[in-house]
Amino acid sequence: MAISVEYVVKETAGNLWRNRLMSLAAVLTVAVSLSLVGAALLIKQGVSTATSQWQGGVQLLIFFNPNAPTSEKHSVEVQLKQMAEVKSFFYVDRAASYKEFKRLMANEPDLLNAVTQNQIPPSYRVVLKDPAEAPALGKIFAGQPGVKTTEYNFGAIKTMLDLSSIAQAVIIALALVLLLSATVLIFNVIRVGIFARRREVSVMKLVGATNWFIRIPFMLEGLTQGLVGAVVAAAGVLGLQSLFNYAINHFGVKLLSGFVITSSDVIFTEIFVLAVGIVVGAGGSMIAVRRYLEV
Amino acid sequence: MALSDINIDVERGEFVFLVGSSGSGKSTLLRLLLREERPDAGRIWVSGKDLGQLAPWKVPYFRRNIGVIFQDFRLLPNRTAFENVAFALEVIGKSKKTISAQVPQILDLVGLSDKMGRLPSELSGGEQQRVAIARAFVNRPLVLLADEPTGNLDPETTWGVMRLLERINRTGTTVVMATHDVGIVDSMRRRVIELDHGTIQRDQDRGIYGIGV
Repeated sequence: MAISVEYVVKETAGNLWRNRLMSLAAVLTVAVSLSLVGAALLIKQGVSTATSQWQGGVQLLIFFNPNAPTSEKHSVEVQLKQMAEVKSFFYVDRAASYKEFKRLMANEPDLLNAVTQNQIPPSYRVVLKDPAEAPALGKIFAGQPGVKTTEYNFGAIKTMLDLSSIAQAVIIALALVLLLSATVLIFNVIRVGIFARRREVSVMKLVGATNWFIRIPFMLEGLTQGLVGAVVAAAGVLGLQSLFNYAINHFGVKLLSGFVITSSDVIFTEIFVLAVGIVVGAGGSMIAVRRYLEV
Repeated sequence: MALSDINIDVERGEFVFLVGSSGSGKSTLLRLLLREERPDAGRIWVSGKDLGQLAPWKVPYFRRNIGVIFQDFRLLPNRTAFENVAFALEVIGKSKKTISAQVPQILDLVGLSDKMGRLPSELSGGEQQRVAIARAFVNRPLVLLADEPTGNLDPETTWGVMRLLERINRTGTTVVMATHDVGIVDSMRRRVIELDHGTIQRDQDRGIYGIGV
C-alpha cells in the first residue's frame, strides 16, 4: 500500500500548526541545547588544535635548526636516552611539523604564505617522569649545537587544558539536561496531538488503516521539531565560528591565534548536531506513539 | 462482559439480530468479530480468516472487509459528509481519483447526494447514521457489523436506516446487528440470536425479540 506523500505532509503540517506554541517550545529547547553541544565541541576542537604539540603528556619541546645535520640530532637523542628523568620521547620531522604549523596558523594566512616547509624546525617531544624537571632539562639542551630553542611552558598549557575541560563538562551537563527536557517536551507535544486526534485515530483503526499509516504523521511531527531545532543550532554554530574568527582578526587576540577551528571541525560539529536533533525528535515521538497509539 | 459456550454459524448474505439486555455480551461479541478483542479459548472465523491466528499486522487489512456502525455514529465533527467518507478511503491509501468517483456514488446510495457538503452538526441523527453507513459500506465489505445503530434515532428515522441496511444486505453483504429495538426485530422477522449473561439463550430463524414478551 502506498502512503501518499501529500497526505503525510498535510497531516504533519496540520499537527504542527495545531500545537504551534508547544512545538515552538520544543524546537527552541532543542536549538538551545544543541547550540551548547556545538559550542562545547568547537571549544574542544579549538583547544586540541592549539595544544596539539603538547599531546600525550609532552612537557618539553626541543626544536632544531631547519638545516641541522643528523649528527647533531643524534647527539641529542643519545643524551635523552641516557637521562633518568626522561620517560619517553619522539621525533617529529619537518613534513609533520609543517602540517601542524599550517593547522595552527590557519588564522594568519600572511605568515602561512611566507613560510615554506624548509624553514620549519623539526623537534624532539619529550615526556618527563616529573614535569617540574622541564625547565632544568630545557636549559641543558638550549645551548647545544643544532638546537634552535627549547620550550617547557607546560604549566600554562595545562591550565588552559584544565579550564577548557571544566568548561566543556559544565556545558555538556547543561546540554544533556536540556536535551532531556527537549525529549520530554516533544514526547508531550506528540501525546497531546494523539489525544486531540483520538477520534480520527479510532476511525482510522476501524476502517483498516495500517499502524504505520497512523503513526507516521506523528513521528514525522516529532522528527521535524528535532530537526528544525538542530538546524537553528547548526546556524548558531556557524555564527559562533565567525565570532571566534572576528575576535581573533579584529582584536588581535594573540593568545587565541592557535585556537583554530577548521572547516572540517565545523562540518563534523554540524553533522553531530543534526544527528542528535533527529535522534531527540524521533526518540520523543517514538516513545509517545508506542505508549499511546497501541492497537 | 465475558462470553462462554458461544457456537454460531452465520452464512454469507445473512441478516442476524443480536438481542439481549445490557451487559449480556452483544457488544463483546461484535468486538470479537472485529478482532478488537481476542478470545481466550475457541476459534472465530470471519470472511475466511481465523482471527485467533491472524498476525497483528494483518488486522488492518482484515478490517477493510468489515464495515462497522455505532449508536453514536462516530463521525469526525470537523469534516463534511463527503470528507468523512473520503477519509475512510484516504487512510487505506486509495487514490484521489478513486475517492472522487466512489464517495458521491455511495452518498447517493444512502440518499444524501444533496447534503455532501454538510458537517455532521448540520445533519439530523438519521442523516448522520446514513453517512456512517456510507463510510462503512464504501469499501463494499463482506460483513457489516452494527452496534445498536438505531439507539439514538426516533422511530421514523429508524425505519429509514433499517431499509437502508436491508438494501445493503440484498447486495450480498452479511449484516450482524445488535439491538434493543423490539419493534424492528418483531416486524423484520429475521434470524434472532439472544444472549444472556454471556451465553446463547436462543438462536431462531425468522424470530421475534422475546418469546412471550
